[in-house]
Amino acid sequence: MSRPIIDMRGIVKSFYVGTPNELEILHGLDIVVPEGQFVSIVGASGSGKSTLMNIVGALDRQTGGQYILDGIDVSRLEDADLSGIRNKKIGFVFQTFNLIARTSALKNVELPMLYAGVPAKERTKHAKELLEIVEMSDREKHMPNELSGGQKQRIAIARAMANDPAIILADEPTGALDSKTGRLVMDIFHKLHKEQGKTIVLITHNPELAEETDRIITLSDGNIVSDVLKNKPGEAKEAAE
Amino acid sequence: MNFIENVKLAFASLKANKMRALLTMLGIIIGISSVIMINTMGSIMENSVNDIFDSQGGASLVGFQITLKPNPVRDYYTSNDLMTEDMIYNVAERFSDDVDALSLVYGTDSATTRFKREKLDLVVYSISPGYLKQSMTGVIKGRYISDKDITKHGKVCVISDKQAIKLYGSLDNAIGQTLSIDMYNQSYDFTVVGIYEYQLTGMMSAMVNMMGEDWNNEVYIPYTTMAEIQGDSDPLFFYFYVNIKDGVNATKFAEEVKDYMNNRFYRNNDSIEVYYATAEQQMEMMGEILGLVSMVISVIAGISLVVGGIGVMNIMLVSVTERTREIGVRKALGAPNSAIRTQFIIESVIICLIGGAIGIVSGILLGNLVGLLMDATATPSIGAILLAVTFSMAIGVFFGFYPANRAAKLDPIEALRYE
Repeated sequence: MSRPIIDMRGIVKSFYVGTPNELEILHGLDIVVPEGQFVSIVGASGSGKSTLMNIVGALDRQTGGQYILDGIDVSRLEDADLSGIRNKKIGFVFQTFNLIARTSALKNVELPMLYAGVPAKERTKHAKELLEIVEMSDREKHMPNELSGGQKQRIAIARAMANDPAIILADEPTGALDSKTGRLVMDIFHKLHKEQGKTIVLITHNPELAEETDRIITLSDGNIVSDVLKNKPGEAKEAAE
Repeated sequence: MNFIENVKLAFASLKANKMRALLTMLGIIIGISSVIMINTMGSIMENSVNDIFDSQGGASLVGFQITLKPNPVRDYYTSNDLMTEDMIYNVAERFSDDVDALSLVYGTDSATTRFKREKLDLVVYSISPGYLKQSMTGVIKGRYISDKDITKHGKVCVISDKQAIKLYGSLDNAIGQTLSIDMYNQSYDFTVVGIYEYQLTGMMSAMVNMMGEDWNNEVYIPYTTMAEIQGDSDPLFFYFYVNIKDGVNATKFAEEVKDYMNNRFYRNNDSIEVYYATAEQQMEMMGEILGLVSMVISVIAGISLVVGGIGVMNIMLVSVTERTREIGVRKALGAPNSAIRTQFIIESVIICLIGGAIGIVSGILLGNLVGLLMDATATPSIGAILLAVTFSMAIGVFFGFYPANRAAKLDPIEALRYE
């Protein structure tokens, strides 16, 4: 097994809903994702998916347990360092695309590199390469409001790839798309996974999409109820609480 | 994220809401342009006041007049209180080392002259030769009133170039002509001996232009002649002027003359004494008044700048709320808080700087528009412009900081969820 990109041990997340009430959302999760794995996290709403995603994406911090992302202990980082982690280690793809309005496709793809301090020329060059990968080169000057949903999501994927992150974290990436364009977007993820060996975490409630991935982690009420490694049946394991 | 990127970003965001940006700027524009306009007008006024003083002999002019003593027995003048020719010539004699010119004004009288079928108004100045020094004019043809005219009570007069051309066709033709001056129900014939150049500067010309009158009606005659016409064998004066020589300290000279006159001529007067006014004092006073007026208006302009700044803050808060989701996305993509904060502060500073620049230009234009009425142009000092620029930047930073900080401190998860 290749080295772990995500190494989560006993992750607990609780919220204070006014003292002394404490609401525990995640009850000590262990998740290890090796490099190059395409993993999907499924679960009904309220299962803790989003909370887990926020922690994986370094948008939020766990209350207990340890999270090591690409060799870095995230729990020990300050806010300012967390933004650096998000910038360099994580590529977000959102359900609602979240392209910056009034900013061209090319500039949107450049944005993470801008925050990483990449020089302008290099930025533009790399952004163009990425747009080529998602087959959007002819739309680089277009504003988000001139693009269809599928096109926006492809731009967003190119943007997620900008700083060559350790993981691509996709939150219901096809949720706002029809099945045909959704298929197209999924194909791009598969392409990135196969051709570039990207580690991809797909959060979805669609079992069919999850079936396409290497591994399905199912959450329910803040616990992992199943963790199936599909492609390599020998290593498959069932993890109940 | 470097500075230029931020500036581009700010412009893009302003362009997206042009009308809103412009309205927000308006407060800053009005504030800055009034400061600059006041500054421009201030320097025009100052130039104008200086011009007038310069044309009247500048800082060398000192005036002496009778006034009430601090604790007077009575509060009116009698003819015994006025200054006599003897007194004034005595002073001129006593201080001859300091005195360059002495000018007496016996009176200014309304009069008329007939020209064809018209009656033209005149104002007759009954003066001494020294008056030329402090008048706003120079003699361009012939001569001024002379000492001999004074002793001989000569029926001579000095008229303006405009009068000469209107009455006699040309300057050359005017010299030696007879001017009939009607006053005190009689007609007196005066010989034109000289012509002065009619010119007005600064505020005076503004007033004349506004009245639309270009006929200058001042005529100068010897004061002794006027005294004789009025049957006054011993002319008396409320005041007289002295132009001091170069290098004489005006205030010191004035004090000495005042003390001399009060000791010698007014010691036994129960209510009246002599006091003085120097051009320097007058200029300082004018300067103080101008300064005070500018300050008051500047304070009002300053208030409008603060109001403008609050407008900027308000619009920035709206902008932050509108772009909550964008801020969340930027944070998810790795923008540190400082980058978000800088982005919004730069946006607010740019609103203020553009507003400031428009304000400076319109302030100079408005100031000069007013200056046009006074035949004067001026530019505000570089200092004032720098101050305006700095101030508008400061407003941008100050009023932009709170909204920007609010943006920077947004929780990315909350912000991403914002609809």
